[in-house]
Amino acid sequence: MSDKYIRAISADAVAPGGMKAVELDGKEIVVCNCGGKYYAVQRRCGHMNAPLDMGTLDGMYLTCAMHCAQFDVATGEALSGPVPPDFGGETPPRLLGEYFQNVGMLMGRIRTESIRTYPTKLEAGWVLVAPQAGD
Amino acid sequence: MNTESRKKALHYFYEKVVGPLGFKFTPDAELREFLLEQEVILEGKHGVPFCPCQPLRHDRARDMQIVCPCIPFHRKHFDAIQRCWCGLFVHQDVTDPDKLPQLPPKEVGLE
Repeated sequence: MSDKYIRAISADAVAPGGMKAVELDGKEIVVCNCGGKYYAVQRRCGHMNAPLDMGTLDGMYLTCAMHCAQFDVATGEALSGPVPPDFGGETPPRLLGEYFQNVGMLMGRIRTESIRTYPTKLEAGWVLVAPQAGD
Repeated sequence: MNTESRKKALHYFYEKVVGPLGFKFTPDAELREFLLEQEVILEGKHGVPFCPCQPLRHDRARDMQIVCPCIPFHRKHFDAIQRCWCGLFVHQDVTDPDKLPQLPPKEVGLE
């Protein structure tokens, strides 16, 4: 694995607590600014591949916007799986109900995997990422 | 998933919520670790970190009122006993949580 660093994004383009998606060497990566320290993780959620940059970052913890699976951006570790959906207690129409039941059955079998992390460093106001050195 | 990492994350998120409500984590470290661990187990089972000391009724609206930290849903009661039902959180001025009995709402004149 190469640890060649590539300019990913200007450091001031990612506000503290913010995230930005970039593509480096054909890899989709999210650069996270955790209070001035930058981390890079794979863009796709370890649960159902949703783009993680659409989620929220709080401290070191990234929450996916799709089903609220959470990850530690420093280690990539999956911390929690999806939160069960709420249909408001109303019974959906039969066909839709069957669809949700089927999707629910399939989703129940999906494991939430940890996500890849990539080494980062700051240089001359740029965040550099080594996309080939991901875990 | 790793229990210790999840406990650390829950601790981080809860602290931000309970502080502005006038509460803090119990100074009893053993109890705190035990209760957080039970929540991680419940979250693994149900997808949500429910209060480990209150029963699930399988009625979503009611069950959502015991998602930790459930202080906003039981504010008067917990303010009266200076702790949450489990004792995971206590009022910010509490130094000895052992002195706080777990009294139901009826015994503090709330029902």
